[in-house]
Amino acid sequence: MKKFYRLLRSYGVALLGCLFLSATLCVAEEAEGVKGMAEEEFTPTKEVLNVKFVEFDCPKDVTVCSLEKALKDAEGVQVKLQKQDKAFPNGGGSVNAAEVKAVHDGTAIYFQVSWDDATKNAQAIATQEFRDGVALMFPLGKVVVSTDEKFSPRMGDRQKPVNLWHWKADWEADMVASGGIEECPVRYPNMHDDFSTNPHSVNYHKGLMQSAAVLAGGVSAHNLLSMPNRGRTVEDLNAEGFGTLTSQDHQDVNACSKYENSKWTVIFYRLLNSNDPLDVQFVPGESTYFNMAVWNGDKEDRNGQKNISTQWHPLALERIAWQ
Amino acid sequence: MTLVHNWHLGRRMEYPYFESRPKHQFAAVFNINRCIACQTCTMACKSTWTFNKGQEFMWWNNVETKPYGGYPQSWDVKTLRLIDNPDNVWYTDDKDKEASPYGTGAPYGTYEGDTIFEAAKKKNINQWAVGYIPEDKEWRSPNFGEDTAKSSNQPGEYSTLPEHSRWFFYIQRICNHCTYPGCLAACPRKAIYKRKEDGIVLIDQKRCRGYRKCVEQCPYKKPMYRGLTRVSEKCIACYPRIEGRDPLTEGKPMETRCMSACVGQIRLQGFLDDNPKNPITWLVRHHKIALPLYPQFGTEPNIYYIPPRWAPRAYLRQMFGPGVDEAIEKFMVPSRELLAVMSLFRMAQTIIFEYKIEEGPKVYETTIHGKKFEMYNDTVIGFDADGKEVVRTTIEEPVHVRPDKHSNSI
Ligand code: SF4
Ligand code: SF4
Repeated sequence: MKKFYRLLRSYGVALLGCLFLSATLCVAEEAEGVKGMAEEEFTPTKEVLNVKFVEFDCPKDVTVCSLEKALKDAEGVQVKLQKQDKAFPNGGGSVNAAEVKAVHDGTAIYFQVSWDDATKNAQAIATQEFRDGVALMFPLGKVVVSTDEKFSPRMGDRQKPVNLWHWKADWEADMVASGGIEECPVRYPNMHDDFSTNPHSVNYHKGLMQSAAVLAGGVSAHNLLSMPNRGRTVEDLNAEGFGTLTSQDHQDVNACSKYENSKWTVIFYRLLNSNDPLDVQFVPGESTYFNMAVWNGDKEDRNGQKNISTQWHPLALERIAWQ
Repeated sequence: MTLVHNWHLGRRMEYPYFESRPKHQFAAVFNINRCIACQTCTMACKSTWTFNKGQEFMWWNNVETKPYGGYPQSWDVKTLRLIDNPDNVWYTDDKDKEASPYGTGAPYGTYEGDTIFEAAKKKNINQWAVGYIPEDKEWRSPNFGEDTAKSSNQPGEYSTLPEHSRWFFYIQRICNHCTYPGCLAACPRKAIYKRKEDGIVLIDQKRCRGYRKCVEQCPYKKPMYRGLTRVSEKCIACYPRIEGRDPLTEGKPMETRCMSACVGQIRLQGFLDDNPKNPITWLVRHHKIALPLYPQFGTEPNIYYIPPRWAPRAYLRQMFGPGVDEAIEKFMVPSRELLAVMSLFRMAQTIIFEYKIEEGPKVYETTIHGKKFEMYNDTVIGFDADGKEVVRTTIEEPVHVRPDKHSNSI
């Protein structure tokens, strides 16, 4: 817990922001804009996601297709999704279900999430365009969720931190973009660009090129969203309630995805033990919980404007059967 | 929501955070009557803060032509529609002002319509404020409708003062560093903050996640999304200059780039505070000649405008509230003090915190619109943050005769 605070503190700029904010405009303590939660939200669902132990050689090139065989026999759970209607801004409601399957091989865990989406939104460059996305959420540490031991299924709570894995459709495109991030000319092919990156071109201006990072606030603040060459499509985050989502210094999760027949399939994967106290750890034979959300870029979903499940789902890892 | 006092509206209004005013608030007065739309301010800003990759469409400072121009296109008309109060109703009787529990807290009367925050509540949209995201194509033409006049004249028919029937005017726009920012209210991450020391509103580039709620709910459309970095940016009020970090003013607060560069000398920037001899405070709060832009939005914006005297009053009242008539009247026949304070515009880059007038002889007398006007050649002196003199100028501009040996030099 302490470490989480320390981490938050190490975000100098961010914290400064919060400080100034609380000094100038005190937050009206969860008054309006955050409505109370019903009792049933603190009760986990009956259906358990059984994470089977499957022995397989992890493919070198991790794709949805190459993992298909490993996940073939996994039992899935159906997760009901709905509009986020508690914290302002409310929104979502266009996706009402997703299927989640999971397996582990004693070293890593694989979660496959699939849902229907008629439109693929894999770019967030134009002002009015938003990305498709999906997130898994896990309580941090060993917890029991019940009506007595209230643990919010919506972004956790103070003293009850969660670990979130947020897959972003546009990060997939950034992975293969030259320069490690898709730039505006990808969206606007005929736009004028002062910043020729070709050092042999007549338009190449070294001083300008070097200033680009300095004058890109997001890049100089090391905002992961702005950074080229992230090497992954999932952001590893923590939260302690609405508005506290914070990206980790240590990114451990990755994913591969496929969009086919108006359906997204995303497979998240991470080592069972990540060696990071801010991450959820998975122990074969033990259980924990997960929850999830889906963003439909076409409907301008982002932030709290999303499709959510309002209950935790139990998750049990099968013991490793050593042969 | 909480109840906060908005003095532009002369009443309390709903806002998601408590009222907390900075010690002194970044503010400026723009004299619309003098602007020539040379866009020097626009380029001064562009070449300082937004010349970079992914900022091609960004103009944190822009000058647009009213009534048709707008960057992004039709931003004001679209937002006015959202607050659903086309009549812009105000109670402006003296007796209403007196009856106001705030006394001078209602200098223009009391606004009776909905602000962007109240409209959101009334419409039950589960958002902090009403708003919309302008599409990329709406940001494409920073000066769409340039110099296009509105006219009800027949060919050959001329306009006459006090209100021209064929008219346009320029409006100079930067972020208003509002007292109750719509952008700040909208951000679900609290990535936007208002600085206690000077009231400058900034987007924390580390906490921002590119949700564009600020783009959506700033009624003035001044936060902008940078597609390259996937986060939003906005005018930063040249805060390193405000903090006195530019060596030129030796540690003293310095006016922003757009202000300093103003060719038409229409801009004066400083802070709103409680000192009646602060030129900004005097122009805004005491003389009431400079008015907020669309006060009915409810964000208490801090860029104040001296309205253009030739434009139709009804249009101006919608744009600047009911204080328009009094402001124009005072501007057309300026008082002795107003002439002096207006002489401070663009005399220095160092921010002037206080002024003093030394009286001089009467030099001119005439009648303007039936009113007597007398001009005195007073001397006005401006002082910086530490009370050091930085400007000394007279009402009559001094005449300089170029010596013969330089008669042909530029
Ligand atoms: S003008 Fe817009 S961006 Fe600037 S402080 Fe006000 S609401 Fe925020
Ligand atoms: S520099 Fe001054 S005169 Fe020129 S457009 Fe800007 S505000 Fe108007």
